[in-house]
Amino acid sequence: MAQPLVKKDDDRDDEAEYSPFLGIEKGAVLQEARVFNDPQLDPRRCSQVITKLLYLLNQGETFTKIEATEVFFAVTKLFQSRDIGLRRMVYLMIKELSPSADEVIIVTSSLMKDMTSKTDMYRANAIRVLCRITDGTLLTQIERYLKQAIVDKNPVVASAALVSGIHLLETTPEIVKRWSNEVQEAVQSRAALVQFHALALLHQIRQNDRLAVSKLVTSLTRGTVRSPLAQCLLIRYTTQVIREAATTQTGDRPFYDFLESCLRHKAEMVIFEAARAITELNGVTNRELTPAITVLQLFLSSSKPVLRFAAVRTLNKVAMTHPMAVTNCNIDMESLISDQNRSIATLAITTLLKTGNESSVDRLMKQITNFMSDIADEFKIVVVEAIRSLCLKFPLKYRSLMNFLSNILREEGGFEYKKAIVDSIVILIRDIPDAKENGLLHLCEFIEDCEFTYLSTQILHFLGTEGPKTSDPSKYIRYIYNRVHLENATVRAAAVSTLAKFGAMVDALKPRVFVLLRRCLYDGDDEASLFFINLLLMYKSKFSIVRDRATLYLNTVGSDGEVIETDKVVKDFLFGSLDIPLANIETSLKNYEPAEQPFDINSVPKEVKTQPLAEKKAPGKKPAGLGAPPSGPPSTVDAYEKLLSSIPEFSDFGKLFKSSAPVELTEAETEYAVNVVKHIFDRHVVFQYNCTNTIPEQLLENVTVIVDASEAEEFAEVASKPLRSLPYDSPGQIFGAFEKPEGVPAVGKFSNMLRFIVKEVDPTTGDVEDDGVEDEYQLEDLEVVAADYVMKVGVSNFRNAWESIGPDFERVDEYGLGPRESLAEAVSAVISLLGMQPCEGTEVVANNSRSHTCLLSGVFIGNVKVLVRLQFGIDGPKEVAMKLAVRSEDDNVSDMIHEIVASG
Amino acid sequence: MGLWEAFLNWLRSLFFKQEMELSLIGLQNAGKTSLVNVIATGGYSEDMIPTVGFNMRKVTKGNVTIKLWDLGGQPRFRSMWERYCRAVSAIVYVVDAADYDNLPVSRSELHDLLSKPSLNGIPLLVLGNKIDKPEALSKEDLMEQMGLKSITDREVCCYMISCKNSTNIDTVIDWLVKHSKSKS
Repeated sequence: MAQPLVKKDDDRDDEAEYSPFLGIEKGAVLQEARVFNDPQLDPRRCSQVITKLLYLLNQGETFTKIEATEVFFAVTKLFQSRDIGLRRMVYLMIKELSPSADEVIIVTSSLMKDMTSKTDMYRANAIRVLCRITDGTLLTQIERYLKQAIVDKNPVVASAALVSGIHLLETTPEIVKRWSNEVQEAVQSRAALVQFHALALLHQIRQNDRLAVSKLVTSLTRGTVRSPLAQCLLIRYTTQVIREAATTQTGDRPFYDFLESCLRHKAEMVIFEAARAITELNGVTNRELTPAITVLQLFLSSSKPVLRFAAVRTLNKVAMTHPMAVTNCNIDMESLISDQNRSIATLAITTLLKTGNESSVDRLMKQITNFMSDIADEFKIVVVEAIRSLCLKFPLKYRSLMNFLSNILREEGGFEYKKAIVDSIVILIRDIPDAKENGLLHLCEFIEDCEFTYLSTQILHFLGTEGPKTSDPSKYIRYIYNRVHLENATVRAAAVSTLAKFGAMVDALKPRVFVLLRRCLYDGDDEASLFFINLLLMYKSKFSIVRDRATLYLNTVGSDGEVIETDKVVKDFLFGSLDIPLANIETSLKNYEPAEQPFDINSVPKEVKTQPLAEKKAPGKKPAGLGAPPSGPPSTVDAYEKLLSSIPEFSDFGKLFKSSAPVELTEAETEYAVNVVKHIFDRHVVFQYNCTNTIPEQLLENVTVIVDASEAEEFAEVASKPLRSLPYDSPGQIFGAFEKPEGVPAVGKFSNMLRFIVKEVDPTTGDVEDDGVEDEYQLEDLEVVAADYVMKVGVSNFRNAWESIGPDFERVDEYGLGPRESLAEAVSAVISLLGMQPCEGTEVVANNSRSHTCLLSGVFIGNVKVLVRLQFGIDGPKEVAMKLAVRSEDDNVSDMIHEIVASG
Repeated sequence: MGLWEAFLNWLRSLFFKQEMELSLIGLQNAGKTSLVNVIATGGYSEDMIPTVGFNMRKVTKGNVTIKLWDLGGQPRFRSMWERYCRAVSAIVYVVDAADYDNLPVSRSELHDLLSKPSLNGIPLLVLGNKIDKPEALSKEDLMEQMGLKSITDREVCCYMISCKNSTNIDTVIDWLVKHSKSKS
């Protein structure tokens, strides 16, 4: 019955162009799969059906568990056929379609037989499939065969075993590590592929052992590697060794000769790999760079686009750190501007922008204009960024560069592209005073016809800060007021707030702005008009009752017209920045029920929650132009606060200042897992011990933590709250509270001992024995450090915040930090010592830089705002020096910060 | 079946090979893989590793090609036996006749399997293996212990064999060959 279907497919095949499988249906193919059960197998037919099944899987079709199981078992029946082609399809199918670990194991025996078969193809593929489905216990059974396969004469078999080893290393490293000898033998193989795979596996086996990797590289660089791919790997491993060695050694760079000799290798990929490796060496000298640049220059005029691309991309990177070294290639690169491949052309031109001198700027700009319309947005962004840095390098050329930016701003483009342009203009305005008026007008023109709300609001905000300071602020009013009429609510609100800023700053404009703002009152949108009312109020009366911007966007004031006012008078409402993370306000506002009592902004937690790691690792380049306030995921501060206030002993401690991240007090995988959270109050510290009992046969009762505070003199224990019982795998909390002098960041070390009564439990029935034994369990020490008293609170604009705090309580001092591994390491050490929030992305240290400035902000216990400016410098033998400037609202706190650093 | 037809069958069997498919099951260490080896090559080895999953063997006896699905006997494979018993010519169930402790398990596994509707009417051959051991059961005791009398919905046969000494292997092959003919 399935026969006609196949015929139809064949017909389609004749028409060509389309895939012969186009339009096949899962149901029909599953029906066809019944041929696998025929007593007389037709191998050709079966292969075809498997191909169709694989095609379906490849197209994203999914099989239900039942379907997958049916097909899988039917496929296993095909092991009876000796047809090599069909067997190969069977292997593929099993790999793609392992229904579950339990069932897939049924093919193990058959695969083991194939693995020792005489047919090379069987051996290679069976190894790959077997390693995919096997577990640790089975692996020990087949280990012997795998070892043999690694040194098999047939390269396909050896490669299969080696690649399987690379996969297995992730799950069962201890077994794969035993194969070192065989793998080492395979590295010497004459077959290129085997050598490549063997080297990769050998390196992975040893990757955590620096010395072993170094030995491996030393022996192989003496020249036994024939495969170009393996040679490329070797170059990478070599650079790794060089990187690690460089921190301990001085004098001649080890292995440089090897890299240099690779530049004369036969294979282009090796030459390129070596050249790139040399350019990426830490602190590479010009003498070392020259030979690498020379070969890259040759690649620039190669006929192969991929070589040209690789070369120009590498040179582009080199140009960032060593622009002079690349100038030799400028002539070759200029010819690449007209390259058919736009990626190559873009990279060429941005490289030229980096290396060019002032006189060539105009010529280059002309060339760029010609091809801007031909390239994709992402390359346009690259060009824009290059132009921004060029402009900062040659401020005198700002006119032509600014014109270029404004021209491309008017053209079509996506959000990211436009944002890059706007960011660039903003930065140029900030850094080049002459460019200000010109740039602001360009931005004004842009918002006249801007489809991106985000950019409009950001530009309006920027206009509000910069516009009033210009010689003729009135010319911007028209652009801003137009927004009030023509845009959506968000932009309207931003425009109104900008208008208000003009009014507040420029006395001459005040009456006119007032009239304009009045008109805004008739705005149809509730949110916007409410906002206007408040602005007007504030504007009229010099001391302002203010509704916060954030509340406007976030809360649900809605139709009942409830005006939620903060009772805090924020004098610097318009220009000051909100020192509370938006996410926290959002949570508080969501919890807030209107009408009961006014919303109290002081009750919003100020702590910026540490962001998830993934987010932190995201490219450190924050939008430098239009600083965005830091925001975090909804905090757990609320949860802690709720928990603590529910405990009567702690209810009179006041408001929770800060809760630390959990600190582990036990090793992983011990009998009892304990971590501690430090809760800091004004006059108290509460330790919250989170305990988990990981032994199913035990029930713990009367669990207490005996804290010895003899090394923490300023603390006195006031209360503790033991845990009545701690059953298996359900976490419980024990609390201990200590009193400390108010407002003083007392530090100390506490040793902890877990004391409890153990009762035996029968894990199967859950019965508990009556008699228990008293026992103790030593926990690790716990320290309260100065950083615990500093809360991470970000500021959106550090410079403004710095100036607004003023130099009254500024303390400046210099420190030597001694020899450090790198500047970045020193910076992060100081940040974690102080426990403050890095601002404006300054925690990221550029590669190879010799100095760095880091900006931190935070709130010290007692609600004292603290800002810190750290300036680091590093000299030859890794000696790091630091200048620390602290500004805060309190004399003592400024000194305290210095004390922390001095004692740290 | 008329005389003429029987004659034709005989004639066909002279010219065409016959095929049959068997599945070989039973608890672990009953001697299934050994039996396959004995049937296929006549060789016997004391040193066998447990079958993980299944082995597929083709054996030619006379003009009959026998496809043997030799399945693993460990508990985790038992649920999968049924899949490899569907549509076979006969199910061969191997029992270690000298392992008294496991007989009840063997019995219940067998009866569980036979209760599956997909295996209705498939002939069953029960083989009591390892009669070279002195403590091995007799045929009658084995049939009693395995509850073979209670199976009435299909052809059931029981032989006592020893793979080690190749006792009664010929009888088994004869039975199998006979059943391949009756099937075709």
